[in-house]
Amino acid sequence: MALDASAGGESKSVGSMLVQLLKKPSQEQIVLLLVLALLVIFSISLPGFSTLTNLLNLVRSISILGILGLGMGLIVISRGIDLSMVSIMAAAWSIPLNQMEAGLPIGWAILLSVFIAVLIGAINGIVIAFVEAPPLFVTLAASFVIYGVAFWIAPAWVVYAPKNAPVLLYPGQGLLFGIPMPIIVFLVAATVMHLFLSRTSVGRFVYGQGDNPEAARLAGIPLRPLIVLEYAIVAVLAWLAGLVWIGTTGSMQMSITQGTMVFDVILVVVLGGISLIGGRGSVLSVVVGCMLIGTLLNAFTIMDVNSEVQNIIRGMVLLAAILLDNWLHPRDEETARQGD
Amino acid sequence: MLTRQILARTAAVLSAAAMLCLCGPVVAQAQDEGGTKAARELRAEYDTAVKGKTIGYVPITLAAPISAEWGRMLEMEAAWRGMKYVVRDPNFDSAAQLQAVTALVNDKVDVLIVQNPSVTLLVKELKRAEAQGTHVIQINMASNYKSDAFVGADWHEVGRVLADEVVKQCGTASGKSGKVQIIQGELTAAASVDQVGAMLDVFSKDKNIKVVSNQAANWDANTALNITATVIQQNPDLCASVGFWGIMESGAAQAIRNAGKIDQVKVYASGEGSQLDCDQINQGNFTKFLNYKSTEQGHDLVQAAVGLLEGGVKPGTKQLAYFTIPEWVDKSNASGANCFAIPKAK
Repeated sequence: MALDASAGGESKSVGSMLVQLLKKPSQEQIVLLLVLALLVIFSISLPGFSTLTNLLNLVRSISILGILGLGMGLIVISRGIDLSMVSIMAAAWSIPLNQMEAGLPIGWAILLSVFIAVLIGAINGIVIAFVEAPPLFVTLAASFVIYGVAFWIAPAWVVYAPKNAPVLLYPGQGLLFGIPMPIIVFLVAATVMHLFLSRTSVGRFVYGQGDNPEAARLAGIPLRPLIVLEYAIVAVLAWLAGLVWIGTTGSMQMSITQGTMVFDVILVVVLGGISLIGGRGSVLSVVVGCMLIGTLLNAFTIMDVNSEVQNIIRGMVLLAAILLDNWLHPRDEETARQGD
Repeated sequence: MLTRQILARTAAVLSAAAMLCLCGPVVAQAQDEGGTKAARELRAEYDTAVKGKTIGYVPITLAAPISAEWGRMLEMEAAWRGMKYVVRDPNFDSAAQLQAVTALVNDKVDVLIVQNPSVTLLVKELKRAEAQGTHVIQINMASNYKSDAFVGADWHEVGRVLADEVVKQCGTASGKSGKVQIIQGELTAAASVDQVGAMLDVFSKDKNIKVVSNQAANWDANTALNITATVIQQNPDLCASVGFWGIMESGAAQAIRNAGKIDQVKVYASGEGSQLDCDQINQGNFTKFLNYKSTEQGHDLVQAAVGLLEGGVKPGTKQLAYFTIPEWVDKSNASGANCFAIPKAK
């Protein structure tokens, strides 16, 4: 049934994957090949690109985007979307950081931030699952409410992390065996998410729900609690991304909620082949999507391409990914529901 | 005879002295009264001009340190003068800001202070305000329309002063690589455009200066960090990094610190000069900071308003400018009045 078709070929042997790649490549395979091609081209043409430090820089620069992408990927696979992710990231941390300035101990601050994130995620999920409101509008509205409330409680444009909190700053600032911690956090989160999606029954249910919610419900999957769980997981990943963000910059900027960051997250997810129709793609999709964006951004910075051109190219890459998705997965009566 | 004469003279002198003694205070009092009278009149005229007048303030957002500090100064100084102070916080929403300005113009405030989000958005309303008799003061970010007064930094000057310092440290005479990184705010923001234009003009006169990276980080510290991490890795002999806002440039400084180069690379930023900027200097992240003190700008705003009201200037007839002195802050003076504490928003 539909559940088996969605794993992106994880259980198949390498040989059969090659055959499938030649016959009809999946989007993530195409993007992966594109990334590899770009890496080779830039290594030859750009001096200093292929050094270890640069490659570490490259991956570090996309790790926050990647962690957010893992959450967004999960929710898009389940045929939902979460536009409030960046707001959750900012709100979950700006309030505790603000309280830390007033003397809240670090342990309590971290607990408070987890609580805020999960609470928002659960509320999102409950409204979507039980009120059956479209996730696009629920999370869009939620992002405004979260921003407003967070700002009301912690009215500061930039909230700084205390300097004497190494535990808080380590995931964003530290090094482990010479590898920057953000990369490690991203890799661990990706591995956990991969195991969750491909090895647990709940993870398989997510694909089932994304593929055909009615069929999944009829098959006995508790759809409503599942949706609440999904939005809570997204919020936890937003929290994790915020933790890395704080370590990297030493602060949390509320301004990011007003920017286009959430669209960058959707970009890497869709780019890697997680179809907006749901039920397709995997953690690998997020990773290759991030790698493509990271490689382009890194090369642009080295070449000192101006930001307007960068935006044009980014927009075109997104458009190309959506066209590719359309070509690989033509919309049909059975599956095309989202947004119709 | 002689004795009588002496007695008479003595009496005259004494009586004269007595007269003086009596009159002295009277005369002095009369002079004093004249002085206080003038001062009282001055104050009375001042009060007639400003007391009870309304200042309306619409920044882009009240949450940024710069506009919060302007607001704090406006509120405090307006209260002391017996002026009414109204503030509208559009919180980065251009549509809301336009509405807020329209509403304040309709309310016929006496002085309208705006921070323009773009060079065109508010122009029509600013003209309407002046036509109906409201004084319009624009702060730091001017529009295409010259209103009664402009208070703020001269962005060309700020760019030029930054560039002159970079040339001094990295130019031909310095013997250094001359490689410079520029981090702009937004490509469309006039403040950013003018600063970078002036910088490049100065740089073009020194053959040693090479701008190896000129990118926009959209006022975001994390983006600045990512760009700079790549730039410092590609150019380990980078001489200077310049950013157009302290909070954004702190990300660049962090990347340079991570690369272990904070002692070799000169890090410069321009900005409003809050405690956050001074922290960056004192932690050794910023080499120098070009401060266009928003505390003083807030004071200048009130002075401009008072000047317009007291001078009886008809709105729309004069275009006054109150430019801010940009001042270098480094480790020697990064304290006290050079770093304002971030005001708590209400």
